[in-house]
Amino acid sequence: MTTSITPTTAGLPPAPPVEAARRGFTEIIAPYAYIAPFFLLFAVFGLIPLLFTFYVALFDWNPIGEHVFVGLDNFDRLLGDVRFWNAARNTVSIWLLSTVPQLLVALLLAHLLNHVRLRLAVFFRMTMLVPYVTSVAATAIVFVQMFDRDYGLLNWLLGLVGFEHIDFTQSVTGSHVLIAVMVTWRWFGYTTLLYLASLQAVPRAIYEAAAVDGAGNVRQFLHISLPALRPVIVFTIVTSTIGGLQIFTEALLVNRGAANTCGPIRQCQTLTLFLFEQGFIQFKFGYAAAIGVALFVMVVGFAGLNYFLSTRIRPVKG
Amino acid sequence: MKFRKVSAVVFAATAALSMAACSGSSSGTSSGGSDGSSFEFWSFTGIDAKGSAAEYKAKRPDIQIKLTEVGNAQETAQALTTALAGGKVPDLVLIQGDDLPKFVQQPQNFVDLRTMGADKIKGDYLDWVISQPTAKDGSIIGIPTDVGGMAIAYRADLFKKAGLPTDREEVSKLWPTWDAFIETGKKYTAATGKAFVDNAGGSVYSQVVNQGQEKYYDPAGNLVYERSPQVKAAFDLALKAVAAGITAKQSTFTEGWSAAMKKGEFAVIAAPVWMLGSIRDNAPDTKGEWNIATIPGGSGNWGGSFLAIPKGAKNPKAAWDYIAATQSPQGQLDHFSKARSLPATPSVYKDPKLTSAKDEFFSGAPIGTIYTDSLLGLKPFLIGPDSTTIGTEFTNAITNVEQGKGDPAKAWDAAVTNIKNAIGS
Repeated sequence: MTTSITPTTAGLPPAPPVEAARRGFTEIIAPYAYIAPFFLLFAVFGLIPLLFTFYVALFDWNPIGEHVFVGLDNFDRLLGDVRFWNAARNTVSIWLLSTVPQLLVALLLAHLLNHVRLRLAVFFRMTMLVPYVTSVAATAIVFVQMFDRDYGLLNWLLGLVGFEHIDFTQSVTGSHVLIAVMVTWRWFGYTTLLYLASLQAVPRAIYEAAAVDGAGNVRQFLHISLPALRPVIVFTIVTSTIGGLQIFTEALLVNRGAANTCGPIRQCQTLTLFLFEQGFIQFKFGYAAAIGVALFVMVVGFAGLNYFLSTRIRPVKG
Repeated sequence: MKFRKVSAVVFAATAALSMAACSGSSSGTSSGGSDGSSFEFWSFTGIDAKGSAAEYKAKRPDIQIKLTEVGNAQETAQALTTALAGGKVPDLVLIQGDDLPKFVQQPQNFVDLRTMGADKIKGDYLDWVISQPTAKDGSIIGIPTDVGGMAIAYRADLFKKAGLPTDREEVSKLWPTWDAFIETGKKYTAATGKAFVDNAGGSVYSQVVNQGQEKYYDPAGNLVYERSPQVKAAFDLALKAVAAGITAKQSTFTEGWSAAMKKGEFAVIAAPVWMLGSIRDNAPDTKGEWNIATIPGGSGNWGGSFLAIPKGAKNPKAAWDYIAATQSPQGQLDHFSKARSLPATPSVYKDPKLTSAKDEFFSGAPIGTIYTDSLLGLKPFLIGPDSTTIGTEFTNAITNVEQGKGDPAKAWDAAVTNIKNAIGS
């Protein structure tokens, strides 16, 4: 604060102190009022449930009976629970199988869709969104039928060319691949459009100049598109990590015979599905809340690690 | 500065409180209204609750029934749990037998139906059925709506092709025991090259284990699944069926199961009375080709449901009137002729309406007598809070072997380990 009197205010009579105070108060409170809705909604739907989950995790919590305080027992049990580690392994496996191809496919598609001479570009760009707007449940039902052991389209084709039928839903690898395919199919269009939007911001002149200099499509992709996309790639990696660690519906619908465990030996039970099973099938809310907390820690950890790695590793500029 | 912080906190707190107050009031007495002439009823799908409600409305036009078919039985139990925890409950709810123990353990959530008159009518029901909704403190929290007698449904046309008898009496004689059942399966598979039964977990294990006098708990409520001879015998029989190669490896109620049923990829399904509707809906083109034989090993029960009134119900009287009218022996008999749910009231088991009931879809099988016969002389087992979980783990272990992934020699130990993990004892 400066105490010197400027020429413009010097000639004015001083404002009445009460009004100044009132105006000052309104001006101070106004910005907070404008942003208050977000914080209120965040508190009600984000923070309070989160804190409540931490709280419930400390109890043996029967939703229709007693709530017994057990301290950290739930976490202790969780760390020794093979089902938890199995679910964690499945989740990471499915996440890697779905995210890596998805982002790579999206990168290539975005580059192609951004091509100057592409005909019907708008049409192709619109079709990218079709998988995304299809309901997850519908997607899962169709894919599970396509991958069915005895009557699925895919195994029928495999049979035609002389291969044995693959039992996708019953084996560990098969079920992970099946879920990953569903997730990839659903999200690649969305990611493509994100990349495309970012690519559109790159001036055409740069591509044209590169072409004049003799750079082919591959070199243009590596040296123009990829560096331009770096911030949005970081963003999609972080969001798909969060989404990937929370895969639920696809896993729930893959194995209808043993839906809550995603198969007889929990071969594709993800962490969220394990949480659902403990909370809403077994009604062990305390234990389920502990799983939720563990999942929260994992998501934050993975997202942070991703962010750290993807901001450090820069593509070579050429 | 300080004031701003404080005011923001106060503002947020007030907003939160007012929201809490809003959600709180819905569980109070203000909304809805206990007018005595309407009640809210949660049922599950597939048991024709609409039909029962319509029948009742015809008798009592002054009563409004707000019926919600929440989902399948398990989903309805989940919704009820959430409702009980949250405070906004229906007046009347249907609970499946397998889901009942969790609620019976917490009887304070329900109206003790003895206060409504359950004491006077409890003798109408099979003893072992009415004992299920009876809590430790003696309160009765539910009234049985039906029971699940057991039998075997088979495809007579496929049996004929395989050179087996097709008449239901003769077919029943093929399998006095489960071992004989498996032997018949071997003959069928050898003759046709096709699977005999849909799966080992549902059609063998779950049937055998439901025929015993002691399942996963002893009568005192102690867990005995690990040393129960009945459970081990059921498990071994299921693995024997798997080893014999007579199962179609299709888990019950999956897409593949439906498809295989339509195509006649297996000839036999163990069919508790509630399974008949599934077969009918699933494979309507096979009408008249099915028939029903008795189950190996004699009598047994699997399933059944109960009507309960949550403690917070606004119209418990209207709900009880509904229970009393529809679940009387006569009411259950009437519902049987329409919906094929088997009465839990033995006094009507000799009624011509029941004994003469035939099902055209199943070649005119006398389903009334077949299923009630399977209940006679039954000495049932205790169903405990973790019975469903234990059953699921055993079935999963069998399925895993059936799918060719698991080692049969290790399956039992794997199942027991999983159960200990799941229920913590």
